[in-house]
Amino acid sequence: MTIQEIMERSGVRETNLAIAWIRDAIHLIQSNGDDQVATWKTDITDTVREYPFPANLIKLKSLSVLDTSDDKYKRIRRLTHQPTVSEDTDPD
Amino acid sequence: MSYKTNENWFYKVVGRNVHLWQYVDSAGVADLAGYKIRLPDSYYGVQLVYPSEDITNGLMFEGTAYVEPFVNVDPNELDGFDNPTLTEETAILGTLNEDSHVNLNRFLSLAIVDYIKAMSADSRGDLGSKEYYMKEFWRKIGDNASNKKMFALVSPTTPHAVR
Repeated sequence: MTIQEIMERSGVRETNLAIAWIRDAIHLIQSNGDDQVATWKTDITDTVREYPFPANLIKLKSLSVLDTSDDKYKRIRRLTHQPTVSEDTDPD
Repeated sequence: MSYKTNENWFYKVVGRNVHLWQYVDSAGVADLAGYKIRLPDSYYGVQLVYPSEDITNGLMFEGTAYVEPFVNVDPNELDGFDNPTLTEETAILGTLNEDSHVNLNRFLSLAIVDYIKAMSADSRGDLGSKEYYMKEFWRKIGDNASNKKMFALVSPTTPHAVR
């Protein structure tokens, strides 16, 4: 469906406003469903624990780490609490 | 070399970041002249440590994303017998205009029409209409999600049922 058709159906005349609302609606759809799922890969660095989320990620579904012994990505589990850090070589 | 990463690696979401932890049940050792030695400040025993190695493309995120919201052709129409080839249209490239297509199926596009009607009603202060159209919006989102699911409803027949 084109932007013009959506504007005509909804009775909105301002194109930029309609595009902004369409973006908001897509964001809501992706926050609550999974119309488009994507994957992102990043390097793991020795002794570095902190990795930022991808910029265009909306809802995290899973996180996997490459098992280099058989070259497969395996889903890892989430910790329910922050571990007590007794020694820290990478304080931020 | 990482192994059994599904058992030995964990994460914790902290703000915009993910903290990675590796479970170890051994001691960190180093090679010295062919001998494995444990360094005095190295880890030992059962604990969680920071990632202990470099892994190229080692961490994979999977999730929903804001991917090509506007495209050049209708994503619901086949190109012959093939899926259409979609090219993103953006304001930065100067290709985004009223003829651009929303990269959603027709049902979700109709849901967006409801969302815009709701926002339009909200800007007029008509909260009753806004609530109505938002309800329609979520109903269509739910219907679209259930369209992808198949299930069978089976109910047992009692022994004395009239057949």
